[in-house]
Amino acid sequence: MWGALEGSIVLWAWMLSLYTLLLILRHRENARDLYPWALSVMLGVLSFFVLVMTLPAPPFERLTPIPANGRGLNPLLEDTGMITHPVALYLGFTGFTVPFAFAMAALATGRLSDAWIATTRRWTIVAWYFLSLGLLIGGWWSYHVLGWGGYWAWDPVENAAFMPWLTGTAFLHSVMIQERRRMLKLWNVGLVVMTFALTLFGTFLTRSGVIASVHAFTQGTIGVFFLSFLALVVLLALALLAFRWDDLRGQGSLDSVISRESTFLLNNVMLVAAAFTVFFGTVFPLVSEALRGVKVSVGAPFFNQVNVPLFLALIFLMGVGPLIAWRRASVDNLKRNFLWPVLIGIVSAAVFFALGIRSTLAVLTFALTMFVAATVALDLVRATRARLRMQERLIPAVGGLLLRHNRRYGGFLVHVGILVIAVGVTGSHAWSVQTETTLKTGETATLAGYSFRFDGLRASEESNHFKVTGAFTVTNGTTRAVTLLPAKKFYPQEQSPIAYVDYRLGLVDDLYLVLGDFARDGSQATVKMQVNRLVSWIWIGGLILTLGAALAILPDRKPAR
Amino acid sequence: MTRAGRVLGSLALAVLLLAAPVAAQQPATPISESEAYEIASQLRCVVCQNLSVADSPSEMASQMRELVRERLRAGENREQVMQYFVDRYGEWILLAPRRSGFNLLVWVLPVVAVVVGLGIVALLLRRWTRGASSPAVAAPALDPAMRERIRREVERDE
Repeated sequence: MWGALEGSIVLWAWMLSLYTLLLILRHRENARDLYPWALSVMLGVLSFFVLVMTLPAPPFERLTPIPANGRGLNPLLEDTGMITHPVALYLGFTGFTVPFAFAMAALATGRLSDAWIATTRRWTIVAWYFLSLGLLIGGWWSYHVLGWGGYWAWDPVENAAFMPWLTGTAFLHSVMIQERRRMLKLWNVGLVVMTFALTLFGTFLTRSGVIASVHAFTQGTIGVFFLSFLALVVLLALALLAFRWDDLRGQGSLDSVISRESTFLLNNVMLVAAAFTVFFGTVFPLVSEALRGVKVSVGAPFFNQVNVPLFLALIFLMGVGPLIAWRRASVDNLKRNFLWPVLIGIVSAAVFFALGIRSTLAVLTFALTMFVAATVALDLVRATRARLRMQERLIPAVGGLLLRHNRRYGGFLVHVGILVIAVGVTGSHAWSVQTETTLKTGETATLAGYSFRFDGLRASEESNHFKVTGAFTVTNGTTRAVTLLPAKKFYPQEQSPIAYVDYRLGLVDDLYLVLGDFARDGSQATVKMQVNRLVSWIWIGGLILTLGAALAILPDRKPAR
Repeated sequence: MTRAGRVLGSLALAVLLLAAPVAAQQPATPISESEAYEIASQLRCVVCQNLSVADSPSEMASQMRELVRERLRAGENREQVMQYFVDRYGEWILLAPRRSGFNLLVWVLPVVAVVVGLGIVALLLRRWTRGASSPAVAAPALDPAMRERIRREVERDE
């Protein structure tokens, strides 16, 4: 359905028209002055994609000569994850067009008051929700299909989706300062434009084949179209910004450096710096090739090293931001809100160290996580207590809290999700182990306390491929033995076989087997065995995160006052 | 990757394997699997798109892993093994560019970005907090319980 370049453009255009329809239904009545402009921008973007569909990438072209059984889908994409991943991702990507349209409308009409911000915020959360979902499903697909034992490769295409996520996240935070303090108007418009431009850039990167990468299943001459459109969008936005410069340059004033405002500013610096790092790292091979004629790679080791400090700083700010007072935090406020969390953070660092965790990074991440979790817990407990004092029962008290202040607690829930993901990422980096051996039938190999027995090979013919399956029995002495059946699939349309991973997920240990070479008579096989740790936390955290985002999208239910 | 790329990759590997016996003749030293893994995770799998030699499930990568172990067994250190691959495939084989020459740029610019960002925020904060140092109005006396309640309401009411 949405295979290859043409399919993705169709999908994009389809999603965008869906959003346009929603925008028409929702805002025809209630945003009269912005609506016509926003709609025009939406339709302008839509017509670009339709143009791409008609000229450089017609989706329904006939193939000549006609292949006997169709061209066939890349077998790696035959997975439910791949049915939902592009849809969610593109719902996220295209979703950022709506905030962009409203930002442009606000600039064009000069109605830069906060109406457009209020309208835009929820749309942005919707787009952010789908983008996060898309990224997570992509990670899951990568983990259980690609067979390299990881979930995130810092592949250019993953980066392309991650950059708008980072700037979108920055916007969702800085927008609160504008709502509260009428500041940062210029910056917020800038972030919206940046996010939208990055989605276009991402599509350009993925779909033009400019950087060879895992996802670049397609090649084409579409790059020129995308780059010119991107330039047009950025220039138009800049021109409008310059035109309204005086109205946007709001006079800022703050009461104190120790306030929520400055935490949010720092958060924005970190997020945008991370986006910049990812951007520069992704395009650096192109720069190097163009300027020096030398091909270089910028991959996972680089991105991990550079981004980890930024993400740690973000986690720290995540603990401070929501609880520090607006305007000016008094010593009393700081003590009230942070004494316990800081203590808990320090104590847990000591406990983790005592438990034998020697990786500095792991201890630091876990301690920060505990600190942030404690701030969230503290806030929730206090708010619940306040409600209980007003003679409410516990369950309705918490429920009412979540629903009535759904934005705040949705945000908290998202933060908790991020924390759980951070634990998963740190753990899987620090403690996953793997090895690779060749086993004869009946032989056993051990890894991390698990023993893997090779029970033999079996060949079978499936509907569209030929499959060789290896059977392995895994035990660790205490739990019941599990049978894992990794396989190699031979597709007629593919040159080399495709590895089919078998795995058993666990809260702490994932068992993960990839079948390598094997003897033709089935007597022996090479197998890559991995015990991946805490990876499941990433999926659990992802679930929490999406629930939180969904909660934040719910309509406000402010009590009538 | 394209088929041509795959063919090129296999050719390159054939060359490497021809060179290997020279190394194999030296006395073998015991090697640590984690060292081999760390080296392999810094090298790009030549037939994949963006995976390291350590991670890739492809056949080519498993042969390259074996090659890494072989060089280690021959007594080479990490730098030498990496250099061996760089000599044959070019800088492209390294997943993180070396911190020297032009490549320094990719390492330094993110740091510059953070520093500049922090600098701007510091400047803004200074400008914005100037002249707002005195509390606007002295709060009228409230009983502490009431003040506490208001504060909580305000804080919660986002």
